[in-house]
Amino acid sequence: MTDLQGVLAGAMMALALGVYTFWPENAFASQREKTRLDYLLERKEQLYENLRDLNFEYRAGKYPEEDFVAQRALLEDETAQLLAEIEHLQQA
Amino acid sequence: MAAFGSFALLIALALAAYNLFAGVIALRLIATGQSARISPERLADTARRAGIAGFVAVTAAAFALVWSVFNNDFSITYIMEHSNRALPAPYKFAALWSGQEGSLLLWAWLLGAYGFVLRLLHKTDVKLYAYAGTILAGVQLFFLSVVNFAAPPFSLLKGALPDDGNGLNPLLQYPEMVIHPPMLYLGYVGFTIPFAFALGALMMRYPGEKWIRITRGWTMVTWLFLTMGIFLGMHWAYAVLGWGGYWGWDPVENASFMPWLTGTAFLHSVMMQERKGMMKSWNVWLIFSTFILSILGTLLTRGGLVSSVHAFAQSSIGDWFVAFLVIVLAVCIFTYILQRSHLKSEQRLESLVSRESSFLFNNLVLLAACFVILWGTLFPILSEYVQGTKVTVGPPFYNRVAIPIGLFLLFLTGVGPLLPWRSTSLRAIRRNFVVPSIALWATVIVCLAVGARPWKDGVFDTGNFYALVAFGLSAGVFTAILSEFLRGAGVIARQTRRNLFSAMYLLTRRNTRRYGGYIIHIGVVIVVVGLAGAAFNRSQESELGLNSTMAIGPYTLKCVGFTQDSNLNYDSEYALLDIYQNGKKQFQMTPEKRVYLASQQPQTMVAIHSVLSWDLYVVYEGTNPDTGQPIIKAFLNPLVSWIWAGVVFMVIGTFVALVPSLVPATASLRVPASLGAPTEPALRGGD
Repeated sequence: MTDLQGVLAGAMMALALGVYTFWPENAFASQREKTRLDYLLERKEQLYENLRDLNFEYRAGKYPEEDFVAQRALLEDETAQLLAEIEHLQQA
Repeated sequence: MAAFGSFALLIALALAAYNLFAGVIALRLIATGQSARISPERLADTARRAGIAGFVAVTAAAFALVWSVFNNDFSITYIMEHSNRALPAPYKFAALWSGQEGSLLLWAWLLGAYGFVLRLLHKTDVKLYAYAGTILAGVQLFFLSVVNFAAPPFSLLKGALPDDGNGLNPLLQYPEMVIHPPMLYLGYVGFTIPFAFALGALMMRYPGEKWIRITRGWTMVTWLFLTMGIFLGMHWAYAVLGWGGYWGWDPVENASFMPWLTGTAFLHSVMMQERKGMMKSWNVWLIFSTFILSILGTLLTRGGLVSSVHAFAQSSIGDWFVAFLVIVLAVCIFTYILQRSHLKSEQRLESLVSRESSFLFNNLVLLAACFVILWGTLFPILSEYVQGTKVTVGPPFYNRVAIPIGLFLLFLTGVGPLLPWRSTSLRAIRRNFVVPSIALWATVIVCLAVGARPWKDGVFDTGNFYALVAFGLSAGVFTAILSEFLRGAGVIARQTRRNLFSAMYLLTRRNTRRYGGYIIHIGVVIVVVGLAGAAFNRSQESELGLNSTMAIGPYTLKCVGFTQDSNLNYDSEYALLDIYQNGKKQFQMTPEKRVYLASQQPQTMVAIHSVLSWDLYVVYEGTNPDTGQPIIKAFLNPLVSWIWAGVVFMVIGTFVALVPSLVPATASLRVPASLGAPTEPALRGGD
C-alpha cells in the first residue's frame, strides 16, 4: 500500500466513522432518575439475601442457637424498618 | 500501511477527544437540567458512538502494524528494531508488544475493546454507563496522545532501507511471551473499567450500591487476567531466565503485583459495602489506588526510573505519565472532597471478632504488603533524591517482610469464612475452629516427624520455619474451606435427598460467588504450598564431560553427548543428558544454549522435568574456556508444579464466581403493625 493509498483508505474510514457517530437517530436510550424508593427496594433484596444466608449457616451448624436468634432478630428488625419506609413511600 | 496506520491513530485521537468533551458537556447539561440546541441525551449518544468508532480506528491501526510486521516492512523503525525475516509467525505477532510504541498501541487497543463492550451494554444503566464511558474516553485520550506524539509506532526509518531487521529480543522468543503480556495488559487496562464506574458513580452521587453489582463481573474478569498474567510471567521467568527461581522482586514484577494486591483487597471489602453499606470511602480509594498503581507501574518501568529485566521497554515517555498521574490524582481527590458526604457508612463495625473485621484485617494486610513493595520499589529513587546515590533493595528485604505478611493473610483466608457476620460468641468460635486447628497442628507434627527442622544444630533456620508455618496454615485453611463445603452440602443433601457430590454442586450453583471464592482460596492454598517448597531447593554445578555423571537428590545425570544445530533464526548447542533414578534410566533432558542470528544475542533454554513432588531443572551454561568441558547446573526445586496447579484452581474458581447464582426461593417478612409510618429513614445513603 502506497502512502497515497493509505491516506485515501484512512480518509474513507474517517468518513464512515463520522457518519456512524453523527447519524441522526432519535431512538437513543434514556432512563428515569433513580428514587429513594428504588434504592430501598434494592436494599430490601440485599437484606433478604442476608437473612437467607443467616438461616442457611444456622442449619449448617455454624451458629449456636442463641447467636442465631439474636442475629436474626437484629436483621428482621432492620428489614422491618426498611419495609415500613417502603410502604410509606409507596402510599405517598 | 504506515500512512494508513498513522491516519487511523489520528482519527482515533479525534474521536476520543470528541467522546470526552461531548460526554462532559452532555452530562453537565443533564445534571443541571439546562437546555441546549441539541438534546443532552442525543449529545451523550453521539459521544458513546464516538467511543465505539474510536475502537474501530485503533483496531485498524493495530492491524496495520501487525500486517506490516508480517510483510517485513522495515521502512517502519519499530518493525526494523523488533522483527526480522526469519522470525517465526507467532513471535512476529508478539512483536506488537515487544517494544514501547507497540505495547502502548496494544494498551490503547485493549482499552478501546473494553470500552467497546461497555458502550454496547449501556442500556443496563444509561446514565452510569455514560459517566463511565466519558471517564474511559479521558484515559483513552491520554494513551492515544502518547502513541500519536511521544511514541509513534509508525515512524519511518531515515536513510537506506535495510535488507533485514534487528530481530526480536531473544528473551521474548518463548511461547509464554505470546500470551503473558496481553494477559497482563488485559489486567492493567481492565482496572480502568471499575475505576471509571467508581469515579462516575461518585460524580453522579449514584443512589445505592447497584453500581458495584454492575461492575462485579468487570472487576473479576480483570483480576483474573492480571492473576494469569502474573503467573504466566512467573513461569516465563522460571523457564527462560535460567536462575532456578520464578520471582525475583524485579520492579516490573512488583509493578504488576501492587495493583493485584489492592484489586484483591477491593474484591473482598466491596462485599461489606454491598451487604451492609460499610467502607464506602475505603472502597472508592482502593479502586482509585489500583488504577493509579497500574499507571505508576508503567511509569516506573517504562520511564527509566528503575532498572529491570524488562529494560528493553524503557523510553522517555516518563514525563507524560507523571503529568497523567497528577491529573488523575487531582480529579480523584477533587471528586472525593466534593462528594464525600455521599460515602457515609450506613452501619458500624460491631465486633472485632466478626466476618466484617476479618475483611478489614484482610484489607489492612494486603495494603501493608502493597506499601512494603511500593517502598522497596521506590527506594532507589528516594535514596538517590536524598543521598545522591541509588540504593537498591533486593529479595532479602522483600522476603523478610512479605513472607510473614503473606502467612498472616493465609491465616485470615481460613479464619474469615468461619466467622459469622456482626459478632461471634466463644461457643461459635469453638464450634467452627476445632477441626481446622486439629488439621493445622497435625500437619505441623507430621512435618516435624518427616524431617522439617526449624532449629538445626541450635541455629534458627528462617526458611524452614516459614515453610513449616505455611504447611500447617495451608492444612488448616484447606480444612476450613472443605468443612464449609461439607456443612453446606449436608444441609442441601438433607433437604433434597441428594448424594453429597450432587448437593455440593447445587450448593455452588446457589451461591456461585461465595463458593467460587472458596475454590479460589483453595488455589491460593495450593500456590502457598508450592511457594513454601522453595525453602528446600537444592542446586549442583559441574563440568560434565562425555559419560561423566553428577547426582542431585534422587537423580543421577549422565552426559551422553553434545550436539549443535542451526536454523534461519538461531544457532544452538545442547547437551544430551540421560537421567537415572535408582540405577534405572528414566528419561532424557536436553538443556540448550542459543545464539540468535539477527541480534547476535545468546539465550539459555532450560530443560525442566516436572513431577508433583519436585522439578528437575537443568541449565546448559556453556563451556569452560580453559578445559573445553560443558558446564551443567542442575536444580532440584520441590513442589513447583503446585504453584501452576494452584493457578488452575484460581482460574476455575473465578469462572465459577462469574456464573450467575440460581435464583433462590423468595423470603417474606411482614411489617409489624406496631411500626407504623417511619419517623426517620430506615437507612442512610441512597441520596
